Amino acid sequence: MTTPEYFLEVHELKKYFQAGRPGIFSRRTRRVHAIDGVDLCLERGETIALVGESGCGKSTLALTLMGLEKPTAGRIIFEAEEITHADERTRKALRQRIQMVFQDPYESLNPTQTIGEIVAEPLVVHGLAREGGERQGRVVRALEDAGLKPAADYLHRYPHQLSGGQRQRVVIASALVLEPHLLIADEPVSMLDVSIRAEILNLLAELRRTRQISIIFITHDLGTVGYFADRVAVMYLGRIVEVGRTKEVLKNPQHPYTKALLSVIPVPNPRLRRERVILQGETPNPIDLPGGCRFHPRCPVAEERCQQDEPPRVTAAPLHHAACWLVSGKKP
Amino acid sequence: MTVAEETSPASPRTPSPLLTFWRTFKRNRMALVGLGMLALIVLLAVFAPQVAPYDVTRAVDVTIGDIYQPPSGTHWLGTDDAGKDVLSNFFFGARVSLIVGFFAAFISVVIGGVMGIVAGFYGGRVENILMRFTDIMLVIPDLPLMVVIVALTKPNLINIIFVIGLLGWTTTARIVRSQTLAVKSRKFVLRARAIGAGNGHIILHHILPLVMPLLVVNAILVISLAILNESALSFIGLGDPTALSWGQMLNYAFGRGAMSAGAGWALVVPGLGIVWVVLSLTLLGHGLEQVLNPRLDTHHLMPGRPAVQGEAGAPAVGPEGAPVMLDVQNVSIHYFSDGKSPARAIENVSFRLRAGELMGLVGESGCGKTTLMLALLRLLPAAGQIVNGRVLFGGRDLTALGEAELADVRWKGVSIIFQGAMNALNPVRTVGDQIAEAILCHDPSYRSRRAGRDPRLDRRVAELLDLVGIAKDRKECFPHQYSGGMRQRAMIAMALACNPQVVIADEPTTALDVMIQAQVLELLDNLRRRLGLSIIFVTHDLGVVAEMCDSVLVMYGGVTAEYADVDTIYNSPRHPYTRELLKAFPDLSHPEKRLASIPGYPPRLDSLPPGCRFAPRCPQAFERCRAEQPVLHELNGGHFITCHLIETDRKRRSKDRQTLSF
Repeated sequence: MTTPEYFLEVHELKKYFQAGRPGIFSRRTRRVHAIDGVDLCLERGETIALVGESGCGKSTLALTLMGLEKPTAGRIIFEAEEITHADERTRKALRQRIQMVFQDPYESLNPTQTIGEIVAEPLVVHGLAREGGERQGRVVRALEDAGLKPAADYLHRYPHQLSGGQRQRVVIASALVLEPHLLIADEPVSMLDVSIRAEILNLLAELRRTRQISIIFITHDLGTVGYFADRVAVMYLGRIVEVGRTKEVLKNPQHPYTKALLSVIPVPNPRLRRERVILQGETPNPIDLPGGCRFHPRCPVAEERCQQDEPPRVTAAPLHHAACWLVSGKKP
Repeated sequence: MTVAEETSPASPRTPSPLLTFWRTFKRNRMALVGLGMLALIVLLAVFAPQVAPYDVTRAVDVTIGDIYQPPSGTHWLGTDDAGKDVLSNFFFGARVSLIVGFFAAFISVVIGGVMGIVAGFYGGRVENILMRFTDIMLVIPDLPLMVVIVALTKPNLINIIFVIGLLGWTTTARIVRSQTLAVKSRKFVLRARAIGAGNGHIILHHILPLVMPLLVVNAILVISLAILNESALSFIGLGDPTALSWGQMLNYAFGRGAMSAGAGWALVVPGLGIVWVVLSLTLLGHGLEQVLNPRLDTHHLMPGRPAVQGEAGAPAVGPEGAPVMLDVQNVSIHYFSDGKSPARAIENVSFRLRAGELMGLVGESGCGKTTLMLALLRLLPAAGQIVNGRVLFGGRDLTALGEAELADVRWKGVSIIFQGAMNALNPVRTVGDQIAEAILCHDPSYRSRRAGRDPRLDRRVAELLDLVGIAKDRKECFPHQYSGGMRQRAMIAMALACNPQVVIADEPTTALDVMIQAQVLELLDNLRRRLGLSIIFVTHDLGVVAEMCDSVLVMYGGVTAEYADVDTIYNSPRHPYTRELLKAFPDLSHPEKRLASIPGYPPRLDSLPPGCRFAPRCPQAFERCRAEQPVLHELNGGHFITCHLIETDRKRRSKDRQTLSF
């Protein structure tokens, strides 16, 4: 059933949360459909961008892949190994191969640890490179790979002495020190100034090249994915609504949601002010999902049938799929 | 890699945390006094055999005449009921009181700390059991229970220490639990789990270090409580009869007629001892609390920088002809802190905001945008001061107004939309209520809500919500029931409550998704057209500004880098910083293009470069930029720029012209 050539496979992954406890008088448990049937494949060394608004389930997907949330249904296969329900020991071993970079570099570093301690911590936890010199060497290499050169300048500093961009580099270094095969970056630049973002994006792109790391890059901003993601997957309400090669999706978006997201990216030139498709409202509550296509209440081009039936996944071009009634292409 | 040459903001060798702690501690007078008082009494207790004039531990023959002798040359503080020297008793008694206090507190803090951390960290059933047990212990009055237990067991010192210790941990457990809960939800704990760390590692390396400061402060207060408890027990005769503590001294003096004998000293001396120790511990505890939770660390600056030559008289860009709403002239702001030279946060910034104009104020974090905006409303923190310049609004200079007149301008004239709507809204009051409050504060013609509902007030709130696109039936909702975008809209409604002419929007979209950001921008743009508002839009994102602004002021390190109309900024920028910022934008039409980035980081106010503040990161910097601060130049058509390159360009051009004329 599984095709072994993929590095990471996600099949029909679901993660539901209980919304409160069932009351005394109502038996019905209300569920939040955070991820609701996600299919995703990743090749070794490939970078995929997961794009969507807050509440679309992209961060839950990241935590589920990391094993920090238990999936409700579906399968996750990583390096030809089923890890959906991995036990603690397997999970710990897996953590060496899958690492994560968190969104907020101001919050994700312990203020009482020095940079050296932070970056060495994964090695300590996994009991790797026990010998002092070797450990030090790996920490220094990770810091320098993350662009903090010379590393000796940073080892004994504390997070509050660094700027936002430098802190995010520390977070990246502490993920790199285990030499992971897959890096999940959850909005790594959204808390940073625009001028610093480019640096972090360039760094990720370079790591991918030099270290052959696969990256899942999670963001709400389609504008930042162009340069280094091979493919883009657009998520809406727990599902992937469009996926394709980055250039394809940016130049020729199929799904109305992708089109809207693209149109609101600010263009730094007043002469290019253009018509924007501003969707009204926000991502609906994932407890009561709309029937039919889940995007139809906000969709500017929704038709009758969008309210009735769920749209099929249509192949618009090779490797470019979208789930929309209005997209013409090969239906499966 | 582009960051190789980035400037290190601080020296690479960082002092150890203990040393930094001591440095801040030294500056806290309260903590120092407390520590000094405590150290004195501890030293006296330790060296009691050496400093006490008499050895009171040895039994001596007493005659009736020795009892309750008033202070004299031989007995400085008189004698007690057994004819012993009160001063010596006091020194030896300090030993017992302090030993009981410290050991009992140690037991309490260990139990409370473990209970709190375990309950907070594991949560669920464990927490429920532990915390309900704590609640029960908290409800039982400590002292009667201690009395009963000590009375039932043998009243020796060990028993007393354990009874006090075992009953005194409840507050510690509660405080530690809530701190653990707060620390547990922080992202670095999640990161530690992602690394693969187990619970033990997380508690030891991530929870404990952050709970520790609170635990230390709490421990000090627990010590004083334990000393008080011991004194109370001894006073009612349940102390260890073989060990003389201060409480015991009080007990003996009180029970054996010191009052009727007029021997007040026998009571006052141990009483003062208790007060002294408790006071010293309280001072130390409060001082430590201040040291461990320091407020914003204010920056300082190197002294002796040359004054900036204010060339900017009155810049004027934006829609011509419209009346000027806000005229900011050469504003400089310094932050003052004790013993340091003032930090020059803003230097000579000028701009003019016309009616209906939308101005973008752009810069990286820490470049002084928010400082400048707070200064316009005179809301700077205590350390900040406008040291130069004027802010003219409606013919009045806001920098010269008193509090009463300012109240008139704030919100009715100039209002502000704060960054981070969740923090700026009160979570326990409905959104409608908070908007009503803003109206009531400034418009006395509305009757207060409490005095009976004023239908006009309700109508006005509904009108404001409608203006920002929130259905009026949502006004009874609490902020947490709103989504991020709606909260930001509510903030905008609040800012519009008193019909201001100028609205300052301080990064209103920074934490929002692109789609919500677009919605908020569209809303602000509509509002300005409908209501004729002048808006200052503060952001770090040049892209957002390009979508709707008329003019742009680019700030760098507290200085105007470039100020011009929006088309000039984007299509013919002259300042290298503006150009670099524009290059850092991903170009959607060429997604494969590598992003340009500006190496390094903005300067810290405590280590400003001697010349141009941008020079260390500037790709075009030359000798002069590193030595001399550039002045603000005006180019044709209200294009302002602070850069030496302008003069170089001018000279070259005039030289070209000369060559041509030959």
